[in-house]
Amino acid sequence: MSERTTHDSAPSSSLGDSIAVGWDDRGDELPPADWGRRAGSRRTGTVWLFALLITAMAFGHAWLSDELTGPAFLAWATIFTAISFQALPFLVFGVALSAALVAFVPTSFYRRFIPSSPSRAVPVAGVSGALLPGCECASVPIAGSLISRGVAPAAALTFLLAAPAINPIVMIATAVAFAGQPEMVLARFVASLLASVVIGWIWVRFGRADWLRLPSRPTTPGASKWRVFRESMLHDIMHAGGYLVVGAVAAATLNVMVPREWLLTVAGMPIVSVLVLALLAILLSICSEADAFVAVSLTDFSPTAKLAFMVIGPIVDLKLIAMQAGVFGWRFVARFIPLCLVVGLASTFLIGGVLL
Amino acid sequence: MNRIAQGLTLVLLGAAALTSTVPTDLYLNWVKAGFGPFLIAAGVVMVVLGVLVIASELRGERHDAEEADEGPEHAEHHEGHGHDHARAPRVAWLLLLPVIAVFVVAPPALGAYTVESTGASSGPPPRTERSTSSPFGDGLEEAGPNEVTRLAIREFVLRAWIDEERELAGRRVELVGFAVPEEEGGDGWYLARLQMSCCAADAVVNKVLITDRPAPETDTWWRVRGTWVEPEGDLYDVSRHEFSIDEMEEVTDPPDPYE
Repeated sequence: MSERTTHDSAPSSSLGDSIAVGWDDRGDELPPADWGRRAGSRRTGTVWLFALLITAMAFGHAWLSDELTGPAFLAWATIFTAISFQALPFLVFGVALSAALVAFVPTSFYRRFIPSSPSRAVPVAGVSGALLPGCECASVPIAGSLISRGVAPAAALTFLLAAPAINPIVMIATAVAFAGQPEMVLARFVASLLASVVIGWIWVRFGRADWLRLPSRPTTPGASKWRVFRESMLHDIMHAGGYLVVGAVAAATLNVMVPREWLLTVAGMPIVSVLVLALLAILLSICSEADAFVAVSLTDFSPTAKLAFMVIGPIVDLKLIAMQAGVFGWRFVARFIPLCLVVGLASTFLIGGVLL
Repeated sequence: MNRIAQGLTLVLLGAAALTSTVPTDLYLNWVKAGFGPFLIAAGVVMVVLGVLVIASELRGERHDAEEADEGPEHAEHHEGHGHDHARAPRVAWLLLLPVIAVFVVAPPALGAYTVESTGASSGPPPRTERSTSSPFGDGLEEAGPNEVTRLAIREFVLRAWIDEERELAGRRVELVGFAVPEEEGGDGWYLARLQMSCCAADAVVNKVLITDRPAPETDTWWRVRGTWVEPEGDLYDVSRHEFSIDEMEEVTDPPDPYE
């Protein structure tokens, strides 16, 4: 892979050599006289900045790790790191998949596969969400690349909602967690699919194109496919990854700060308990592959409330809001998230009432 | 954030993922063991991608790409972030936060603090609907009556909570967990273990109450052998499962701190 990617380089030296040589070469470009004017010196400045950071981390590790012993801080750090690292593989592979869609799949493929009429494309996108394993972190960049490949935004958004909610891994996890309660698995599938498709249809009817900041991609005409792949991956990781960290910070903070007992006092109230678990799902930002296990452990709550936890979690949560803001912009988030919440809750109450 | 910075950030993030998985078992403090290979793969991908980006930048490949990027850059100016030729939003700098967390803080596994702040509310789901022959799968039935059975605290609590046959009664079992003082100066302490289904954010507390030994130092790990203190009346109403210790020995932290 690296051979093809670097085909336009001098083939004589290995990759590591070329970097090391490159760094050495820049070393003498430090003079502050032209600081910030030429790209070369800016690059050198960046390298120095990172060298400083690495040194600071080494000293920080040596000096601070004995100081950082506050149990609340350590619990926060653990949960933050846990959320970040759990999401990281999904983010990287989701981004790789979405970059592969951009670089290697011709636009004509989508036109053949997905109906051109948006209202018919929405259910197709919803059902195809059941086929592709992936979690929230992966589906945001994938939806972005689908839109920029000419798929109707409503259909791409339906896919974004359905893929993390009803993919095979999530359904298996739910079946394992709720062993002996197949109706819960069915209810989750139906309620999530219904919500995704209805949200898609509402977007077809009322959505406006200028709400959505279309993902911009560095596409150089005539660039090789591998280079497009590399650039798309870099672009997506930088945009979605930063916001993933924002979401992880928020979720870890709430996880440590909000005592669980507060939640349990409301478990007895019928409608309030459903809303509370929906809120909890938003705040905790647990990966959809894990949320069934958490839902099943909330034993004091009614089945409909647990269903709300599993339906709302994959379509609205802090991590997802931050990532969607990074890819599509805040104007979009301000409209899309309330829509998801309302439709998701309506679907939960309807399906919960019928099946549970 | 220029391209060198993006590349270096990716390399550092990948290095953090690899450092916590390959030479150390640090990642077990945060996520399930099953995530290890995925973290390694993601780390390798990020390091390779970061190196390729830096390499292309140093070869000056960017300059011919620059003109083509004017369009997207313009949109970023409009949004108010992204300056000069920076190609990633400022929020991308936050990707260094997990790097700092790993290399500077190296967060430990959740412990007594989490158990205390979670309170007594959590426990395994009472799956009373399921009255199949053995819903436990913990090997208690297979073991001989005089053998010491090794149980996870999760399995012990599940038995103590919903096993109407009371198979646990009189059986010697071995548990491993960490010590947590009882809240409000109670007369005992808890041997606790956190159960994790995916990552530390979804950790659930399982604990047994111990009253017949003095409380050891908080967060120390112990292997204890003993028996279940069988409660009177309906098991389902019991909120604290008590354990009587025959022998206990301190253990260094087990490699995987979660169940």
